[in-house]
Amino acid sequence: MVNRERGFTLMEIVVVLAVFGAFLWIVVVLTADMRAWQKRMPVNFMTHPAITAVVSRLRKDVQDAAPPYYRETYGNYSMSNRMLIVYTLKEAGTGETVVWDFSTDGEVTRRAFTDISGATSTWTAHGTPTFSIGDFPIPGSPDSVRIQATDKDGKLAIDQIYQPRPH
Amino acid sequence: MEVLAALLVLAVVITTTMAMFVERQKRMQTANETILAYQAISNEIEVRRRIPYSQLETASPNFITDTAILNPLSPYAATVAVSPPNNSVKIVTISVRWRNGQRVERVAITRVDTGGSGLW
Repeated sequence: MVNRERGFTLMEIVVVLAVFGAFLWIVVVLTADMRAWQKRMPVNFMTHPAITAVVSRLRKDVQDAAPPYYRETYGNYSMSNRMLIVYTLKEAGTGETVVWDFSTDGEVTRRAFTDISGATSTWTAHGTPTFSIGDFPIPGSPDSVRIQATDKDGKLAIDQIYQPRPH
Repeated sequence: MEVLAALLVLAVVITTTMAMFVERQKRMQTANETILAYQAISNEIEVRRRIPYSQLETASPNFITDTAILNPLSPYAATVAVSPPNNSVKIVTISVRWRNGQRVERVAITRVDTGGSGLW
């Protein structure tokens, strides 16, 4: 009569541990790979609706800009690398001065002052990265605007050059 | 035998889950890289559109604009090619290649000889 003992054989334990070890190894390798990729790439701000709106509206304002294009000052606002003052055309053909204010971290404000009534409209986007404004001189076309944004690790995530279009 | 069968089922479930996760990550990576590439390409287009028609061939075959935004794609190649003129039309192709040429994004713009200065 065979006397069988309860429990697992050594071979079964070895197989189970081998399979489990293989899974662990795969998980570790994949996690390390994804972590390395995340550290290398900047945050994709373009998936954020508010940031996409900022970039799109700024592009529209610059592309529709008309002489004198940019103003050094307007009211209490002064042009800087955190503030852009642009004179742009509206759909009806009238003009407005738009102040893009990037001076508050995490916030972008667009203030528009119309030519005729002087009425103001204000639009603010929240949860934005740190933007900076500059220019990128192009021979024969000096009115470019360059907008850049970095993520919290300082990686450049947005870098776009816009030019006023002919009217 | 029961243990092995259970492990097999578990392996299928975990492998499928991980495959989905990895596929998602790959697609996200592709989207992020594409956005970076197209930002650099659109910046370069702004410059190439304003180079005089007669000087397109002599302009640098590399990007004139800053390509710092492409650093996460390193090593990459950012190039510009100009086709021979055909009926006063030149095609300027702006390309970014990375992952040893496995990934390529390119945009071609058409430049026309206006007979004088640029239209703007």
